[in-house]
Amino acid sequence: MASLGGSSSSSTEYIVRVPKNTSKKYSIMAFNSGDKVNCSSWTQARMERDMSNRRMYGVEETEGAAGSEFGKKQREEARRKKFGIVTREFKVEDQPWILKVNGKAGKRFKGTKKGGITENASYYIFTQCPDGAFEAFPVNGWYNFVPQAKHRTLTAEEAEEEWGRRNKVVNHFSIMLQRRLREQERGPDDDDEEGEKGGKKKKKKGGRGGDLRIHDLEDDLELSSDESDSSGGEDGDSKPKKKEGDVKGKGKKKKKKKRGSDSEANEDSDDGDFEGLEVDYMSDESSSEEEVGEEKAKSNKEAVPKGIDEASESEEESEEEKQNEEEGKEEEEEEEGKKTPVQTKKKRDSSGESDTSEDSDIDGEAASALFMVKKRTPPKRGGGRGSGGSSRTGSRPGTPSIDSASTSNTLRAAASKLEQGKRQVVGGSSESPAAKRLKMESSSTAVTTQSPAPSGKSTPQPPSGKSTPSSSDVQLTEEAVRRYLIRKPMTTKDLLKKFQTKRTGLSSEQTVNVLAQILKRLNPERKNVNDKMHFYLTE
Amino acid sequence: MSEKGEVDLTGAKQNTGVWLVKVPKYLSQQWAKASGRGEVGKLRIGKNQGKAEVEFTLNEDLTMIDSLGDKPSGVQAPRDHPFTMQTVGGQTLAVFTETQSGKEQISLEGLVVQRAECRPAVSENYMKLKRLQIEELSKPVRLSQQLEKAVTTNYKPVANHSYNLEYDRKKKEEGKRARVDKQQVLDMLFSAFEKHQYYNIKDLVDITKQPVSYLKEILRDIGIYNVKGTHKNTWELKPEYRHYQGGEEEEKETDD
Repeated sequence: MASLGGSSSSSTEYIVRVPKNTSKKYSIMAFNSGDKVNCSSWTQARMERDMSNRRMYGVEETEGAAGSEFGKKQREEARRKKFGIVTREFKVEDQPWILKVNGKAGKRFKGTKKGGITENASYYIFTQCPDGAFEAFPVNGWYNFVPQAKHRTLTAEEAEEEWGRRNKVVNHFSIMLQRRLREQERGPDDDDEEGEKGGKKKKKKGGRGGDLRIHDLEDDLELSSDESDSSGGEDGDSKPKKKEGDVKGKGKKKKKKKRGSDSEANEDSDDGDFEGLEVDYMSDESSSEEEVGEEKAKSNKEAVPKGIDEASESEEESEEEKQNEEEGKEEEEEEEGKKTPVQTKKKRDSSGESDTSEDSDIDGEAASALFMVKKRTPPKRGGGRGSGGSSRTGSRPGTPSIDSASTSNTLRAAASKLEQGKRQVVGGSSESPAAKRLKMESSSTAVTTQSPAPSGKSTPQPPSGKSTPSSSDVQLTEEAVRRYLIRKPMTTKDLLKKFQTKRTGLSSEQTVNVLAQILKRLNPERKNVNDKMHFYLTE
Repeated sequence: MSEKGEVDLTGAKQNTGVWLVKVPKYLSQQWAKASGRGEVGKLRIGKNQGKAEVEFTLNEDLTMIDSLGDKPSGVQAPRDHPFTMQTVGGQTLAVFTETQSGKEQISLEGLVVQRAECRPAVSENYMKLKRLQIEELSKPVRLSQQLEKAVTTNYKPVANHSYNLEYDRKKKEEGKRARVDKQQVLDMLFSAFEKHQYYNIKDLVDITKQPVSYLKEILRDIGIYNVKGTHKNTWELKPEYRHYQGGEEEEKETDD
């Protein structure tokens, strides 16, 4: 023990040895300071390598005769070599560790190897031997151990959804609860829940979902229609939820569903877009949802756009349509199906009245099966219009749905689908009206400002429908239209009524076409009367 | 298997404290050259006015630095290395070992109580050492070198390549493939299809050693040729002959 000079210094010398036998490999197990790991509290521990990354290349492909080719392995290997694909070797030493402390109920850690520690400097472990000398052992590897969560976590998609709703959700505990319940549900009826988020099934259960709606939280109201749709999709969930009296949870769930399908069709609107929107007739929809429920079931067979639109429309027609619904459900489905695209636009008008009048039209139509056929075409046209509407407002695919308050994302999706469908198809007689309508509307769009407010083109009615007699003789000419418009402001519907197909001898389609062209030429002024867009001319 | 994976926790229980020391590369290289019991130097721990001072002194015999290349380096490793002491911080660092030989046992040796960095005392020796290192590192990995004579040893003209000769010989010896009994061929085919479902015609020819046309005749009887969707056009057995759940032989009995 040499001692240095100096007043208050003393030193001891120790011999340092670096043992040569290398039977033991030393490694560092590093824990995070936040985890507060106390090794002395461990009663027992098990640690082994995490082999989950090992891929047995031979075993991957099907072993056994069926489906295998002769020499497939060699060919695959040759192919990989040709393309220079180098697969990394699986080195056991580099695999992470799995550490289990205190048995099954204790903690679990995963230790991943930290690279590059032996590159520029070596670490040594100095331990003091009983004889006072130090022994230094080189460190072979450094593993960072992190605790593994045993509780459930959200997947990435779910997390994104929840993030979008973070401002609205107050009760955070129910998030995981719903997720668990949903998973339970998912077990028994996988097909129901999963595939049909945006589609028919939602509507099918919409009725029942409507039954369960017991509250009108502001949040819910915004999404009332699709909620009823979507809540249907979660029957099992909804009911226990209801029983639990977890109102918020239900609301959230519905939202969740909505959001889920939202993500599919939602292009431009963000979370905050819908918050301040008017919901005054949401309640109407909600009440009518139930009635529509059964109907929806039937309408499932129809094309998705139609069906979904039905759902949204039904709110508005529910009062009038009730009787009809019971009577001629099928017919009505068709009608509504056809009306749907039309209705979409109507909703944008935010007027129930216009719908009403149309309803009456439709009532008349319901009577005769003949009109069914004719009505086939209007929906397409309406679809064109609908899409025109959405195209008009450009970045508004979300707003119409909110305006109408009934449109679910599915509706939006349907609208956009229609839009696309309409856009692409230019040929075909049935399509050309739609195309023309589009053009007409887009041209008039240039004139009007973009506003969610009434669309002047609120749907020329399916012209064939009305059987009410009209007094004037009818040649569908520009002069005639001009005369009408000068005399008094009229909606397109009114105009169409004037030019009955019986009288003009034109088909409903043609009527619409021609009328559209005429209107384009005339370019009449617009006025909003009773929430309906009227045209008029001043000469 | 109960032994494997079980961690021996004696070190943790005893709260054995160890030091984690970061050591420069050249020093660890010198330590690797230690002989005998592995004594490499001396560690001096002193308390100088309240502060702990730790210094490591390398043994004399280990100061010779070997350098790469032919010329002996006149460089000597510095001998004095003060340690810079650091705290562990909040981190828990444990040391565990695995024994590699035979029985694999993981044991927890202890916890790190002190971290240190071994620094060389700056000296002339150290500077020279560093310079040497830099020189070695700055050499490019690849080197272009001019040759005096062109390399002529690789490709020499040959009357006929050995490979070719071998091939011709093999062909002659094999001769044309002889047709054997149809039944035999069928047996061969069925046993082949037991192993794999799809076969290339070339592979089948290889396996059965039959002429192609004859083999194709037989295959047309019992198999189908499919352009499977994957490029290769392969042969497979007809469904009535197949029985791939167990690959039973009797299923494939046919009567010609």
